[in-house]
Order: sequence, then C-alpha cells, then structure tokens
Amino acid sequence: MRSLLVRIFLSFWLIIAITIGFAALGGYYYSEQIRQAIENYEVSDTVIAASTALDTKGRPGLESWLKDLPSKYPVTVFIIDQNGIDLLRRHVPPRIARILRRFAQHHLSGSGHRREPRNLRPARPLTQLVGPNEEVYTLFVVPKRSAYGEWLNEQTKPLMLLFALLVSASVSYALARAITRPVHKFRQATVAIAEGHLGTRVADSMGKRRDEIGLLARDFDSMADKLQRASEQQVELTRNISHELRSPLARLRVALELARRQAGDLPEFTRIETEAERLDNLIGQILSYSRLESRDQEAPAPVNLAELIQDVVENVRFECRSDGIEDVTVQFDPTEEPIIQGYAGALGSAMENVLRNAVHYSPSGGAVMVQLSQSSNQATITVEDQGSGIPDDELENIFEPFYRTRGAVAAAATHGTGLGLAIAKRAVRKNSGTIQADLTSHGGLRIEIRLPI
Amino acid sequence: MTHDVIVMMNDANRAASILIVDDDQELGEMLTDFLAPDHLELTACLSGEDGLKALEAGNYELLILDIMLPGISGLEVLKRLRQKSDIPVIMLTARGDDIDRIIGLEFGADDYLAKPFNPRELAARIKAILRRASTGSQRSGRLELGAITLDPRTHRVTVDDKPLRLTGTEFEILRCLLETAGEVVSKDQLNERALGRRLLPFDRSIDTHISNLRGKLEQAGTVNASIQNQRGIGYMLIPGQ
Repeated sequence: MRSLLVRIFLSFWLIIAITIGFAALGGYYYSEQIRQAIENYEVSDTVIAASTALDTKGRPGLESWLKDLPSKYPVTVFIIDQNGIDLLRRHVPPRIARILRRFAQHHLSGSGHRREPRNLRPARPLTQLVGPNEEVYTLFVVPKRSAYGEWLNEQTKPLMLLFALLVSASVSYALARAITRPVHKFRQATVAIAEGHLGTRVADSMGKRRDEIGLLARDFDSMADKLQRASEQQVELTRNISHELRSPLARLRVALELARRQAGDLPEFTRIETEAERLDNLIGQILSYSRLESRDQEAPAPVNLAELIQDVVENVRFECRSDGIEDVTVQFDPTEEPIIQGYAGALGSAMENVLRNAVHYSPSGGAVMVQLSQSSNQATITVEDQGSGIPDDELENIFEPFYRTRGAVAAAATHGTGLGLAIAKRAVRKNSGTIQADLTSHGGLRIEIRLPI
Repeated sequence: MTHDVIVMMNDANRAASILIVDDDQELGEMLTDFLAPDHLELTACLSGEDGLKALEAGNYELLILDIMLPGISGLEVLKRLRQKSDIPVIMLTARGDDIDRIIGLEFGADDYLAKPFNPRELAARIKAILRRASTGSQRSGRLELGAITLDPRTHRVTVDDKPLRLTGTEFEILRCLLETAGEVVSKDQLNERALGRRLLPFDRSIDTHISNLRGKLEQAGTVNASIQNQRGIGYMLIPGQ
C-alpha cells in the first residue's frame, strides 16, 4: 500500500516538476535573449537607419522600414508625423503624446539650424527627422517590457522554485492519498472477509461517493452480502442435515434396545450399536467442522494454555480408559503458562483431536508427549507420538478432511472419522495460529501448533 | 405447581410418571415401550406449548426435554418452567452443540444427554435423579453455615431466613458442600451425589451447576461463605470471616 502511495505521489510530482522546469527554462531563455538584445542595442543605430530610409525613399521608405522591423527588435519604435499620428496608425501612449505636444510647440516652429546629416538634429528625449519636403517626423523608442524577465529576477528565483515545488508536492500528495486510501480500506475489508468476518462492509466508510470508487464499494458490499448469505445457508443446511440424520439414528438405537430385550443379546446387535455410534460421531464431527467456519458470536478471551491442555489431557486419558486403550500414556508437565487471546472452545477441540489421533496411532505401551513453550510473541504446543508416522510426502495432506494416509487405510477404518485433524487445523486457524506435521527422529508423528501471544 | 417435586419412592415397584417433550412422535412411542419395564411411565408431548400445559395439569416427577422443538424452543420451555417449578429436567441436545448444553444447564436443567442417546443410558439417568430425590431427604438433619440453612426434610434452603430457590441438582451440590464445609470435594464425588452418575470426559456440567449455585448464593447476599474452585481437584465451601 505504502509503495503505491509513494509511486503515485512521486510520479505526479515529477511530472509537475518537469513541466515547471521546462516552462521556467524556456521563459528564461527567451527573456535572456531579449535582455542581451537590449544590452547590445544603441538608440543611434535605429535613428541612423530611420534617417537613411527617409532620406533615400521618403515617407514610404520610412513607413516600410518601420513595418519591417523584426519582431525580436528590442524596442518598439514610434514615428509620429506633424499631425501627431503614428506612421503605422498605432495608438500613441498618452504620456508620450503629452510630451510630444509640448516638444512640438517649442522646437518645431523654426527649422533654421541644420547639421550633418542635414535632417538630423538632437532632440532629447525625442529625435526629429526632417523629410525631403521639410516635413518633420518625431521618432521615439520605447523599450519592450519583458514582464517575465523582471518577475523572475535573481532574488526571487529560488523562492519561487521552492514555492512551486511545495504547491506541486502537496497537490500530488493529496491526489495520491485520494487514490490509495480507498484501496487501503478495500484491502482491510478483503483481509477481514478472508479471515471469516463476513459481516465486513466498506461502503459506509467511503462516505457518499458517487464515483467509480463509490460504485466499487457498493459492488464489494453486495458481494460480501452474497458470501455471508451463502455461508450462513451452508451452516444452516449442515445443521439441518445433521439434525435430520440424527432423528432416525435415535429411533434406531431405541429399536435396537427393544430388539435386544426380545431376542436376547446377539453379537450382531453390538455391531449395529457400534456402527450407529460411529455414524453419530461422524455427524457430530461434520457439525463441529462446519461450525468452525461460521461467524462467531463469542469474542476472543484470555486463555491459559497450560490449564486448557491439562484439562484436555485428563479428559483424553479418561476417554482412553473407557475405550480400553489402557497402556498408552499421555505426558504433559507444563513449566510455562502462556496466556493468549483466543477461543477456548476451538482450541480445546483442536487439542482434543490432535491428542486423540496421537493416542490412537500409538503402539501398545507407547507414550504421547505434549509440550508447551513460550517465546516473546508466540506459544508453541507440540504433540509427539511413538507410532509409525506417515510417509514424508503425505505430511501436508493429513489436515485435509477425510484424507487417509496409504498406510493407515486399514487402521483408520476402525477409529476416527477422518475429520479430527481437519477440525484441529480450522480451530487453530480461527485462533490465527498455524499447525504443521513432521516426523520425530524415531519416526513418530509430531504435530506442532503455534499461536500468537 | 409451586411445590417442590419430591416423591418418596419407597415402593420400588410404584411407577414414576415422566413427561417427554419431543417432536419425534415415533421416538416417544418407542421410549414409552422401552421404559415401561423399569416402572417408568412415559407421557409424550410433541411441542413446547403442549408440554407446559401438561406439566400444569399433571403431576410429573421428571421432564425429558428436547432442545430442538418446533414453535417455542426447549430452552424457552425450560426458562418458563423454572419460574414456577423445580421439577428435575433432563434435556436432549445435539451432540457437539456445547452452547445449547451450557445454556440449558444455566437455565436450570439438571442433566443432559446428547441425541442420539443410548436408551439404557437415559433409563440410568432418570433412575439416578429419581433415586436422589427419594433418598436424599432421609440422609441427614439440618445443615448450617453462616447465614445459609439447609433442611433436607423440607427441601428448603434459606439465606438470612429468606427462602432461596434451588433446582434439585443445586440443592444436592449445596448439601454435599455443606456436609464437608472447609474440605475439598472432588468433582467425581459431586457428580455421583448430585447427578447420580460418574463424571464423563469433556463433561463440565457440574461446573455449570456450581457456577449457577454460586450466582444464586451471591444474589441472596451471602457474604460469609463462598464456593472455591481447587483446580484439578474439586470444589470447597469456605466459611467467611
């Protein structure tokens, strides 16, 4: 996100800065040319040129000389005839016209003095030219004002530059923020939805935008609505299916007991009972598995992991005894008591499933080692068994629902639903933790659960 | 129905009448057949409304209540029932539905069974609770600790001479704790005494009952006695100052 902000900001700013730079450079170059022209310019050159033109071709010559002055000529030349009218019929600036009138009264009446060249006489600030018919033209020059050149003089130049950079920087930054802020919000919402918070919406936080981003926000929300509804429907459906499956199962069990009472205890009845129990376990596991994905009403609360594991260990030991697995021991001697923020129910069910799995795959007389340790930012739980482990390439897959390892096909049929480790994975993920499997040095399976503190 | 349901079952052959509220009619019929040889006389209701009416009208010793019911839910039935009656209740929950189970116990159910259950287990639990109700009253005389007085004969508990309403299970737990005040009673023992059965793995119902009892005692203003949890061992009633 940061990088997008920086990139957009820098791009805008660079473009603006380069544009300003070129404009300044061009303007500077132009004004420099004019400045140099002005520096090298001599009024007498203009006056002599005009005088020559008048001398050789009379008034038309003077007019065409004036007309043909190059546009880059450093001064504007006015030539006014006796009637006070400019030869090119341009508007004479009033200030000049005033001076002209006064000048004409005093000096133009008598024209006795002649000097070389004979039509030239000094008249400051104006110069008069006398034409072949003794008509008098008044010539004066006005320096071209280069506003830019004055404006961008040496003192203000760095200040202007700084100002331009600051303005362009803040405009670029605002623009970049305007683009990346909604992107940031969308990202937060997407992450929240991926984590299972399907109630997340973005339109409200965007204000009342009607632009493309506002539309995107509304589309995003309607997508989230659909996701949420689909997820709720799925949970509801699973719940209903489980319930509907259980009703016949409940009747089956009562019918079985009634049959037993009438026909005596046949071994087939025990078998039917076991299978009914298995079916019931499976339904229960499917229900817990799908429920772990649904939205949760409860908020995360502090969980003492040592206490939680101790409880589960005791319960699993208890369960082992009632299941006739007497010779597998479960060892857990916590030395640390990490406390995390999480969902105790989900964590308990994760531990329960991992432990049950370890116990069931333990050889007779085997031990299951449970360890709990803590670092600055995470708690680690490891569960190791002394079973025969599983092939390396299947370690990744054991957390998939109903995955059976090649070696365990026969064994798995007798216990477990194939959902235990999948439930454990979901439960750990719900607590923002990770779960992974590898092999111990003795070839047994080691499950490691890491939870953020 | 404001009286406490205590039935003397000195005559083991006398049938105990039990009400089951479950929308599964066939299940109810089969259970009626199954429980009859144990002198448990089952009456079935298919909805919560009917169940409440039947309880109002008849004299039942125990209620079996399914949580998932059409119309008003089993939890709602339990809530309304507990406002006026302390009849023992066994509720039927879906397996894995811990929330329903915990709320059910908090609302004052005595025990629970996950459905589909083993009917022999159901029969055993019904008998355990009925046995508790019948034999409990003879066991000892008045028990006192601080402001708490418990009279097994009248099944009454008072705090500062004000009566305190407890469910059958809470009553048994309190009695057990009072008898051994200052000593730790294991969860197993409490389970046997209060629910008439052994503790099961992942079974926290006794903890829920204790927390209910604790809440009721605190609300009644008991300041000079408290129930303490000895982790991994059990519970202990400690006399105050």
